Order: sequence, then structure tokens, then C-alpha cells
Amino acid sequence: MSLVRKLKPDRSITGALIPLSMLPIFGLASLIFGIYIGMLTVTVMVGLWALYYLYVFLRTRSFPQLFLCVYAIFLCYMFAVAAENVNINRFEQLEYGLAYFTGLAFFGMVLIYLFVTRRVKWRGREIFELAGEPVEEIGDGYTSRPRPVGKVAYSPEQMRGFTRFCARHLIAVPYPTSKNITLVPIKMGEEYGRLLGLSGDYRDATWVNFDVDGEISVHIAHKDYLDYREQLAFDPLCASLGQVFIDFFELYNKGEGVRVIDRMDDLRIGIFS
Amino acid sequence: MDFHTASKYASLLSKDYAEDIFALLVNYQAISASEVAARLNLHIKTAQDFLEALEALGIVSKEEVLEKKRPYYRYILQQTRLVIDIDLAQVKQEPSHHSLSLRIRERENAGARFSAARNDDYITSVAIWTGEGREREERKIKLTMPQGKFLFHLPFPKAQPMSVAEIMQKAGVDENLAPEVLDLVQLLEKYDVVESPPGG
Repeated sequence: MSLVRKLKPDRSITGALIPLSMLPIFGLASLIFGIYIGMLTVTVMVGLWALYYLYVFLRTRSFPQLFLCVYAIFLCYMFAVAAENVNINRFEQLEYGLAYFTGLAFFGMVLIYLFVTRRVKWRGREIFELAGEPVEEIGDGYTSRPRPVGKVAYSPEQMRGFTRFCARHLIAVPYPTSKNITLVPIKMGEEYGRLLGLSGDYRDATWVNFDVDGEISVHIAHKDYLDYREQLAFDPLCASLGQVFIDFFELYNKGEGVRVIDRMDDLRIGIFS
Repeated sequence: MDFHTASKYASLLSKDYAEDIFALLVNYQAISASEVAARLNLHIKTAQDFLEALEALGIVSKEEVLEKKRPYYRYILQQTRLVIDIDLAQVKQEPSHHSLSLRIRERENAGARFSAARNDDYITSVAIWTGEGREREERKIKLTMPQGKFLFHLPFPKAQPMSVAEIMQKAGVDENLAPEVLDLVQLLEKYDVVESPPGG
């Protein structure tokens, strides 16, 4: 498989910015209100983080997201205990130290495993690479119009199963309506904005739509199109994006969903991009 | 009667004094503009313009009369029934073979913004920028369902153009609805949103 990238390198730090922003907030809160308030602030922020991962889990049914939620709850609890006992140096107490370091070791190892195996990685970048892979023609032609890409025979139950699969493996977030299911692929770092509804209407994002009659249509957002190194011919690019999902659906339908994951893993895209 | 003539009729009939002038015309064998103006307390120019317009439409005729070497016109009513009869089928754009075989696609960098429906495969509206400089403004065109389906299936810029009939078939739009589709095509061509590439 060719490892020539069609997408520009990912230099976005949006994803890391949110957890990192907790550090200066902790520092400032401690400076202004004291260490106790500083630690409580961190506790609240980590608690919000846990809530976010719980929401992502409920939205996607991705168990690694639930694990991240549990990890955040653990951190939240440890910070809360530490904040309550900040003046008596709880770290010197054996029980606290044991609980803290064993917990940290367990969560740390599982987290490394989840990151290395890409279980917590949003697969938008892989999707766009796969879509761009067969497109050699250059020529722009961008339009904000969706493109019908074909028709696939499926039952509503098959479609629901496929969308659950896509959500569980963080390939795309489903937005179901009475007549169709729209799958929105999300790149790493963009998940906060999209899932919390801060990135605007999902219809303005890149999506693949499956309607009840089996018609499939595709829309590529201008921002995502500009992420390609070259001005790929837009019409074949849309068709290719649709075909990626049609191929995924067919593999899933044959009970070979793991091949979908393999195809994406084979691209060897960085775990944080 | 064509629309333009009908609009002239309607314009004349909508004048405040129209009924009074017609009452004079129907009761007098012949009447001049100055007599109408004096009788109805109108300016002579107003009366004369009205009668001239009626004459242009063939509702009255005029004959030149000489009085003390000064000529003037007297107007005689020619018809006692006024019928505004417009056949709206005249303005219906019957799809010709040429218009349906026109091969089109979206123009590159058309600058139009398309809004897709949430529940189905069709475009609900197109926003187009018109004018230049400070006069520049956004014009939003709401589409009917057949128009929206047609536009959804319009080939992309740089894609192979397709004929209007082929796009309609692909979009599942009934042939009877061709006039409204063609109307949209004409409008989008006017705003440079669609193009018919040479040899396409």
C-alpha cells in the first residue's frame, strides 16, 4: 500500500490544547485564591472532562471512551482527596500513595495500549486519505453541493448496524433522522467542537448520507477539501469518499468489519492526528 | 390578448376617473378631450392622454374636426364590452427538444451557496451574490421539490455535462415538470451558476 500522503501534515494542536489549558488555569487559580481553590478548580475541570467522555460514550458506544471517563473520574477523586488534605501532605501517607500510584500505573498502561492500538483515535484523517488515494486527477471544481454517488441495497436494520459500527470505532458520528442516516467523519482534534455542537451544523461538515431508499450522497466541506495537498478533482473525490463507505458497508455486512479497521490502520497515520 | 396589452387595459381601468370617462364615451356620440376635462373637472392633458391610450388600444376611434381653422379630435366609442382575456398557456415554457437536450453542469467557482435538505436528497435553496461593490447583495432562491431534486443531480464543475432530460431522469423528476426545471436552468444560467460547455 502506498504511503504517499494526499493530506497535508497535521499540525493542529486543538486536541491537546483543551487538556493542556488546565495547567495554566490551575496555576492562576492557585496564585489568586490559594492552592486549595487551585486543586478544586482542577477537580471541577477533570470532572467536566469525565462528563464529556461519558457523553461521547453514550453517543458512540465506544468502550475506550468509557474507560477515559472512568480514568477522569479516578483523577477527579484523587484531586478532590488531595485538595481536602493539601495542608497535611497526604502524599506521605502509604494508603493514598498506593492508591494513587497503582491507579496511575493501571490507567497509564491501559491508556498507552488504547492509544497505540488506535482505539481512541478518531478516524477522519484515515477516511480522507482513503478517499483521496485513487484520485490522481488534479483540477479543483469544488462545490458546496452534495453529490449522489450511488445506490446500495440494504435494510434499515443493516444500516443501523453499520452506523453503530462506525460510531463504535470512531469512524464517523451518526446523525439519524426519520428518512436517512448521515455519517460525519471526524478528525482528531475536531471531536470536541463537533460533538459539543460548537462547530456549527453538521450539514456544513463533510458527510455521507444513506437514505431509506438506498441512495447514498456525499458532501465534502471546503475546509476538508483544502486539507488535501493538491487540488484534487472534486467530482472523483466525492465519488471516492462515497465508495470508501460503500466498501466499508459491504465488508461490515459480510461480517468482516475488522478488515475496515485494518485498512485504516495500514495507513499508519499518527495516533494523535 | 397578450400580457402586455392586458396590462395596458388594466392600467387604464385602474384610474380613478376611468369609469366617468367611459360613462361619457358610452352616452355621447363623440366627445373631445376638452369637453371631457371640463365635464369631469380634470386637466385637459390627463383627459387627452387617457383618450389617446384608448385610441391606441382600439377602444375608441378619433376624427379630426376643424373649428375656426384650429383642428382638434373627437373620440367615438368603438366597443361597449371590454374583455380582458389572457391565455396563461402562452407564457408557459413548453419544453423544446433543444432545451431538454442542452448539456449543462455547474460552473466552476460559481460563488453560489447551496442548502441541502436534512431529510432527503434535494437542494432547498440557492444563495447567489448579485451586483458589484456596495450594491452587492445576496439573493436567495427557494426551490420547488422537483427543482431541488434536479439541482441535487446536476453534474459538478469539471464533471461531464449531462442533458437536462438526463438529469431529470436521474433525479426522478417527471417530464410534465420540465417547464419549472427549465425556468430554474434559465435563471441559473443568467447568474452564471450553470454552464453549457462548448461541445459538451
